Amino acid sequence: MSLVHNFPFISILLCMSAGIFTSVFKPRIARMVTFLVTGTVLLLSAMALSLTMSLDDSYPYMMGHFPAPWGNEIRIGRLEALMATGFSAVLLVSLIPGFERMPGFVSEKKSNLYCIMVDLALAAVLVLIYTNDLFTVYVFIEIMTIASCALVAVRQNGHTLVAITRYMIMHLFGSGLLLLGISMLYGITGHLLMVPLSEAVRQIVDGGQYLEPLTVVIALITAALAIKSAMFPFHVWAPDTYAFAPPLSSAILSGIISKAYIFVMVKFFYRVIGMDIIISQQISPFLFVCGVAGMIIGSVIAISQRDIRRMIAYSSVAQIGYIYMGLGMGSAAGTEAAMFQMLAHAAVKSLLFLATYELINVSGDRKRFRYLHGAGYRNIPAGIVFTVAAMSMVGIPFTGGFIVKLNLAIAGMAFGGWMRALVLVALAVSTLLNGIYFLHTVVSIYRKPAQDMVYPPSEKMSLPAAGALFVSMLYILCLGIGSEPIMRLIETGLKTFS
Amino acid sequence: MILILAIILPIVTGVLLPVMRLKARARNLYMMVCTLLTSVLVAIALTGDFTQLELISLNKKLSISLHLDDLGKVFSAVIALLWPLTLLYALSYMKDAVNQTSFFTFFQMSYGVTLGIAMSANLLTLYIFYELMTLSTLPLVLHSGLAKSVKAGLKYLYYSLGGSAFAFIGLVYLVYFGGGTDFLPGGLFVGVGSQHTVQLQLGYLLCFLGFGVKAAIFPVHGWLPTAAVAPTPVTALLHAVAVVKSGVFAIIRVTYFSFGTSVLEGSYAQYISLALSAFTIVFGSAMALKERHLKRRLAYSTVANLSYILFGALLMSAQGLYAGLMHLVFHALMKITLFLVVGVFNRRAHAYYIEDVRGIAKALPVLAVVFVIGSLAMTGIPPLIGFVSKWSLAEAAILSGGLLPLLGVSALLISAVLTGIYLIVPAVTMYTRPPVILAPQKVESGFYVTLLALSAMIIALSFYSGPLLDFLYQTALGAI
Amino acid sequence: MEGLLLLVAILLPAIGSLMVVFMPWLNERREERCFFVGVIMVLECIVVLLIALDAERTLVLFEMTKQLPIALRSDGTSRVFSAVMALMWTISGFYSFSYMKHEQNEKSYYAFYLMTLASLMALTLSGTMVTMYLFFEMMTFISMPMVLHSRTKEAVAAGIKYLIYSVAGATMGLLGIFMLTPNIASPYFVEGGSLLVEQLNLPHTAFQVILLVTLIGFGTKAGMFPMHGWLPTAHPVAPSPASAVLSGVITKAGVLCIFRMIFYVIGPDYLRGTWVQWTLLSCATITVFMGSMLALREKVLKKRLAYSSVSQVSYVLCGVFILDTMALDGALLQMVFHALTKDALFLCAGAIILQAGVTRVDEMHNLGKSMPWTMWMFTICAISLVGIPPLGGFIAKWYIAEGALITSTPVFSWLVPVVLLISAMLTAAYLLPPSVSSFFGGMAQAETAAIAYEKKDPPLMMMIPITILTLAIMLLGIFPGFMIEVFTSLANTLF
Repeated sequence: MSLVHNFPFISILLCMSAGIFTSVFKPRIARMVTFLVTGTVLLLSAMALSLTMSLDDSYPYMMGHFPAPWGNEIRIGRLEALMATGFSAVLLVSLIPGFERMPGFVSEKKSNLYCIMVDLALAAVLVLIYTNDLFTVYVFIEIMTIASCALVAVRQNGHTLVAITRYMIMHLFGSGLLLLGISMLYGITGHLLMVPLSEAVRQIVDGGQYLEPLTVVIALITAALAIKSAMFPFHVWAPDTYAFAPPLSSAILSGIISKAYIFVMVKFFYRVIGMDIIISQQISPFLFVCGVAGMIIGSVIAISQRDIRRMIAYSSVAQIGYIYMGLGMGSAAGTEAAMFQMLAHAAVKSLLFLATYELINVSGDRKRFRYLHGAGYRNIPAGIVFTVAAMSMVGIPFTGGFIVKLNLAIAGMAFGGWMRALVLVALAVSTLLNGIYFLHTVVSIYRKPAQDMVYPPSEKMSLPAAGALFVSMLYILCLGIGSEPIMRLIETGLKTFS
Repeated sequence: MILILAIILPIVTGVLLPVMRLKARARNLYMMVCTLLTSVLVAIALTGDFTQLELISLNKKLSISLHLDDLGKVFSAVIALLWPLTLLYALSYMKDAVNQTSFFTFFQMSYGVTLGIAMSANLLTLYIFYELMTLSTLPLVLHSGLAKSVKAGLKYLYYSLGGSAFAFIGLVYLVYFGGGTDFLPGGLFVGVGSQHTVQLQLGYLLCFLGFGVKAAIFPVHGWLPTAAVAPTPVTALLHAVAVVKSGVFAIIRVTYFSFGTSVLEGSYAQYISLALSAFTIVFGSAMALKERHLKRRLAYSTVANLSYILFGALLMSAQGLYAGLMHLVFHALMKITLFLVVGVFNRRAHAYYIEDVRGIAKALPVLAVVFVIGSLAMTGIPPLIGFVSKWSLAEAAILSGGLLPLLGVSALLISAVLTGIYLIVPAVTMYTRPPVILAPQKVESGFYVTLLALSAMIIALSFYSGPLLDFLYQTALGAI
Repeated sequence: MEGLLLLVAILLPAIGSLMVVFMPWLNERREERCFFVGVIMVLECIVVLLIALDAERTLVLFEMTKQLPIALRSDGTSRVFSAVMALMWTISGFYSFSYMKHEQNEKSYYAFYLMTLASLMALTLSGTMVTMYLFFEMMTFISMPMVLHSRTKEAVAAGIKYLIYSVAGATMGLLGIFMLTPNIASPYFVEGGSLLVEQLNLPHTAFQVILLVTLIGFGTKAGMFPMHGWLPTAHPVAPSPASAVLSGVITKAGVLCIFRMIFYVIGPDYLRGTWVQWTLLSCATITVFMGSMLALREKVLKKRLAYSSVSQVSYVLCGVFILDTMALDGALLQMVFHALTKDALFLCAGAIILQAGVTRVDEMHNLGKSMPWTMWMFTICAISLVGIPPLGGFIAKWYIAEGALITSTPVFSWLVPVVLLISAMLTAAYLLPPSVSSFFGGMAQAETAAIAYEKKDPPLMMMIPITILTLAIMLLGIFPGFMIEVFTSLANTLF
């Protein structure tokens, strides 16, 4: 066992301790620490990734002295390491412009609280990625919920408070369902660690004794995670929350945290229950339909939005729909496509929120489309970055979005009849709808503003911030061009995931 | 190597243009040099025989690659020939316009992208460049920033996106059933069993409708007449030559090199597409007749003429493809001439409608003659070039037998009569009615050079087209 | 080079036309220009005569594609038609030297006049269907400026109507050419047709429908129902010498195309006895009748003559469509005589308009007193047109009628002569009263009989052509032998 094997654990530990220590630091230092921690996590995860690439299978890691099933355990495989690397990269790049704009949203007193929350959120994400037992899942989901709430509520604003209330109600409801499900599962199987759990579930299925309770458990846990990740029709809390939070928080929430919930769901399906049961119990068709509906309806509502941030928030709902459509297909190809979309969307969404904020900033802080005309010329880097991100959302070739579409479509082709038709048509319609609102916006930001529009002068974007946005954009383009190695990683990682 | 260079050069030089901040004369010179250089590269590429060049590999079956076969050579040659001429025209046309830098940037980039379409070795590459073409030509439509331009641009965008989305489905069908998207003569399914034939035909139909947006088939033609608000060099080159011919080119590739005639011949997919193109021929001509705005009239005429090409190609025979290719080349030449003449009328005489050009022959005699030549050629009056392509189309249709091809021939002839009316009658009024516009502005020599060169080409090709036609025939035979 | 003479026949007027446009020295004085044009036309007649006397020659001009040669050939039909047309053209040309003094834009008139002659010669000398189509279209475009000559709104509208009808008709013809090309043995015209009936790639009915459409399309130039609508608007609005050739000569171009299609491509045997023949005969007879009826109602002189052309040219078509030797003879005779007669009548009408300012037939009374020579010519031509022996019109109509009677075509074998008779009576009704009233005035003109009328006959330059035509009508009417011989030998090669 080399040093690198410990890296995932170290990264979790680092985040948590940073969170604790930040409470005593000055705000500037706090931000620096958060930044450094994220950078370190990225490095560590990358090295862990290269380690897992050389290994055949994923390896378990004892947390503490007691081996499973008595002690706690995390498991590290290619897929997990890839996700960790991807998410931490996105977070790192988002922090630079995000922190720069923070004084506009967060008072100085609260800013190290904010950093603590970011650290905790990162820790929680890492744990959820690596964990191998349900209890830890529950605990860290709760931590993540609270951290997200704080990340949003720190902006003291009427809209925000209303949004956060709705958020809390739905998420706590979801958490309740989760707890219920986990307790029931413990009740019928007697295990909380995932490996013994899966054996127990096998026995139940073969034996046929507790089949209905099992189905109920699956339903509860799925519903809980669906609510938390804003799957249609449980997405109601999402648009306002994303729209009215500080841009960095929106980036983190919609980009990274929602993906963590979905990852947990995938882990649950693959490792605990087994995909065959999920399919036979009609869970995956349900997810498929919700995914498709979300894709279309999310985009339709986005078209009608007047405020650019709400438009992007609804588009998140639509993009999550893509993931659920892929997952709901039930095949390995579908899930792989969904995973790729998770990575791609994380990058694009964070980029979008941050760039949009920059554009709003140079338009006199006004969010309606009328006022955004010409923003692309007032802040050239943000305009370019927004354009590329929009292209990825629509699915223009050379961006990550296109690869997502391609993989989803090919995965859909393997099925016959209705599913294939639905997948293809939904992708086609969704492309068009996305085009309507995103590319229309791109055209708007490059239009000449009306003659009488007066924009107050605003400070230009600093070089690091612009640089960070560019790096993010490059990330999207790389996903579009060099997607093959990543897809291969996902494919092999998924095989060893269960 | 040359292929990628020919594509990259215009794109890079286009992107560099705003960075360089050149003065007007320097910029014009720079543009001309880069465009000519690219055309020279294409010319070199035409003479050689280049094997497939793989650029990026997405996975085992999918890659982005370039290859220049006969069909690609035909299209590249047309583009490379007409682009420098149109640039020369555009330099005079845009002389006093605003935002020239952004205009020329995207104009140049579109050149590279169009060449990319011509040189694609597989459907994925073509699709990628096709989408990029929508994006690189959109700013050209939007150029003036007026409300109507924005509306036109958005309409173009939505239609194109919708089309690409459907073409994408066809692409996925090919990947799934054919194991890849390479272009092979005869298609990917030659000699393979027919369990999936119906599915493939459905996939083809979706692809046809998808690419058919750019090829302006009814009912997805609506963006083209609206896009006539763009500056004339844009409408002429892009919407009469590059964009729309890319749509037609894509359909030809998909028909002959992806799905293949063995799958499609005699199928419902062929019948539906033939019927649509025959209908569009008549529809486009009829709408052109109704339209009084000159550029929109020509736009509808393009709608009809594109379906001539498609009609020929959809006959699924070497004869048909040959006729279609002939019309592709000839129509590009004729339509660009007409658009450029009308552009001068727009810009220097402020004549936008049919009524405005009455009697203009007195003030602008050379231009009126060019318009007459273009009109006679478009109508198909022998011995000018339009006649030979119409003849070949009819010949191919009759050879293939069956009811639908014969209906197509009638559609062709009805369209010919309508074309005569909507083009030649205005040409006549240019000479016979008292002038409406009395004092047009001075017409620069750049305009004259371009237009006379194009007219000379039309006349020359009318009498001596042997080698060209032989090459086209060889291309058509090679595709089956 | 074989066939060089054919090329000369086309190039001579074409180059002459270009010289009229571009050479300034020709345009300084109108007498020089007229002289030049006159010389060109006379030379042209000589060339055409030489071609007529020479053996049959072929000349390929260029190849549009390998299968579409554009070629000239001087066979029997070409010689007949080209001779008639060239002579008519020249005579009317000489008339116009005097007439056009009173109109504007003479230069463009003569230029188009000569160029149209060139295209007409090319049309008559065409050796393949596509060549014929090419020159047919070309002729439409080149003759149109003559229609529009006066540039008034009506003239331009009439010109555009002419254009549209002609293009539509030519396109209908083109349909047939498309369909026939794969089904004939040779792209060149072959006497008796070269249709490969057994190998048709279409069901017969569809093929016959297409043939009908084709022939009706080519019939547009000849003003046959249902494509006659342009003629009464276009012919009168042109200057009189142009009307003369439009009515007298260019309509025959339409007849020529039909002639070529039936006798040199499809072959009369294929059409004989089919519903296509009956439909065509119906169209032709309807036109004969309708043209005469409309002429009767029409009060404007030139328009009356135009409607009369509609009717008379369809006599020719009737004769052609009977598909029999004698009827064909009659048709060709009628063609010649109608050309001569209608030409002369239009030239007289021109004189009347010019000298007396009279455009309507109800103003023509007493005209004979002031323009006796003109009105005598008019009357003689009218009599010929009605078909009264011994003038030429009679022979033509006799042959057509008898030709119809001796065939076994149902209905039409008696219908055609009946219609011809009725039409003759109508022709008399619409041509003779103006003639008569011009000499004898109205009733109760006793007082005016004493008035001395100013002599307003037109100048010699206009009178001589009219006289030549009228003399030709009389002589050829009395001694038709030579023509009948030529036509019969031609007809015999075709059946």
